[in-house]
Amino acid sequence: METRALGDTGQESTVLTFGSIALNWLEQEGANQLIELVLDHGVNHFDVAPTYGDAELKLGPKLRQYRDDIFLGCKTQEREYEGAARKIDRSLDRLGIDTIDLYQIHGLEYEDELDTITADGGALDAIREAKAAGKIDHIGLTSHGNPKLILDAIDRIDDLETVMFPLNPVVAGKDGDEYDYEAVLERCDAEGIGTLGIKAFAKGSWPSTDELPEADRPYANWYEPVDTPEAIRERFDFAAAQGLDTVVSPGDPKLVAMVLDAASRSEGMDEARQRTVIEEARHDDSPVPEQLHH
Amino acid sequence: MAVDVPETVTTALADQQVEGRVCLEAGAGVGNTTAGLLAAGAKRVYAVTNDADHAATVRDRVDDKNADRVAVIEADLRATPLATDSVDLVTAHGLCNVLPPTELDAIAAELTRIAKPDSRLVVDDYAVPPADAAVNRLFALENAAARVVDGRPALTFYPPAVLAAVFADHHWTVERRKALLDPVPWTEAHLDAHAEVVRAYAAALPDSLGEPLTAMADDLVAAIGSERTGTMYSLAFRLADM
Ligand SMILES: C[S@@+](CC[C@H](N)C(=O)[O-])C[C@H]1O[C@@H](n2cnc3c(N)ncnc32)[C@H](O)[C@@H]1O
Repeated sequence: METRALGDTGQESTVLTFGSIALNWLEQEGANQLIELVLDHGVNHFDVAPTYGDAELKLGPKLRQYRDDIFLGCKTQEREYEGAARKIDRSLDRLGIDTIDLYQIHGLEYEDELDTITADGGALDAIREAKAAGKIDHIGLTSHGNPKLILDAIDRIDDLETVMFPLNPVVAGKDGDEYDYEAVLERCDAEGIGTLGIKAFAKGSWPSTDELPEADRPYANWYEPVDTPEAIRERFDFAAAQGLDTVVSPGDPKLVAMVLDAASRSEGMDEARQRTVIEEARHDDSPVPEQLHH
Repeated sequence: MAVDVPETVTTALADQQVEGRVCLEAGAGVGNTTAGLLAAGAKRVYAVTNDADHAATVRDRVDDKNADRVAVIEADLRATPLATDSVDLVTAHGLCNVLPPTELDAIAAELTRIAKPDSRLVVDDYAVPPADAAVNRLFALENAAARVVDGRPALTFYPPAVLAAVFADHHWTVERRKALLDPVPWTEAHLDAHAEVVRAYAAALPDSLGEPLTAMADDLVAAIGSERTGTMYSLAFRLADM
């Protein structure tokens, strides 16, 4: 599988990162098998979080067995020193390892959270302390809905090395500032910051729970995913063509094998086809009536 | 209302000087290109269409803050009220395919009259779809209905070389060509819109003719669903400085 430099971290990540939340839905034996499958395809970057149920625990055994082959990203939703320090130790303990390669502030959404994490006694103090103590190697950030906030975070966090954010044809086709991840990609490229893409396989939101109760959803994802080999290939190729360093696999284990296949066989996507995919997505939920044309 | 500018439009305009320029959007349609030109900083946009509904849609779509940069003009592109040598950039995005061959030359002449010497022209349109494309069946039905009602086709797909030749007759030279879409995604929404054209023509006909036309359009839309086929291209021209 293709690898790309993860910003200036020195890490060469496979263009697919394994979203280890998928392990949460499996028994230990199944989790072990899935990890073996992922490694068989050459994937060398895994991502996990303490909020993903038992994912850290289920990742542990195989992670320890193949520790040198896996670059591991983990995260915290804590914003203050105490909580973050505790979460780092807890994750190390649950994973059963000494060092987390990439530790990310998880799901930053509001400016005041950025104030909190960067202030004295904020989460970043704990993360830097852990870095000095050798418990983590690199510092990153994830944000799911606010490109402007990511740019601000890049301005304000000098030692920020990676960012993770959503990117797919629906997002790419929208013009508003709240969808301007292109600006984030450009900025990261200029500053040597690594980029990880999520929601690449999102087809749309789930129907309302009145229409489809949560318990009746066929996939564990936050969103309704695309689920045919062709659509998955196209979504992977599209995301990988946007300039991301790596694309995170979807959270449902049933989809992972298809995504591994897509990433292994990917041959890129030219710009005219990228536009085709964006236009198609745009027309599937266009507010403009009766468009004969593109 | 804030509507996203399609990638096709942004891509076609990406290598053009739009900022500070006076632009003529020939065949304003739903205002996609008008919106793209405004977003790219056009000084002024004359959005011309001969369709009152389209004119209203475009006016609706333009934000209040941009209103003073746009003039939506209801006119025939063969004879507009615009002054000679008054615009720097002409756009015709998806226009030519709705023009029958007999109108092309007159429109090219009028656009040339309005354009200043050394102007630029961007023509975006569809190449002829492959012979085996399923959408051809819907387009053929649309054209048949249009011929019966209007005595002219609704759609004509021109190869890029044909449009290049038409404009070459008026001293425009092609500066660049690129693929905007390859393939073209004809989504359910597009096909429905084309079926709607058939229904509108059918409504102008006696039931004995209109009803089967409508039924055929509905059947075709159901049968095709959606299809990716053909390409959409962009030609950028420069007007000789005479
Ligand atoms: C398919 S739309 C073009 C799309 C549009 N350029 C956009 O960016 O949204 C074609 C437009 O050309 C207009 N049109 C066709 N023939 C015309 C003519 N002879 N004079 C003026 N407008 C014409 C139609 O009414 C329609 O508004």
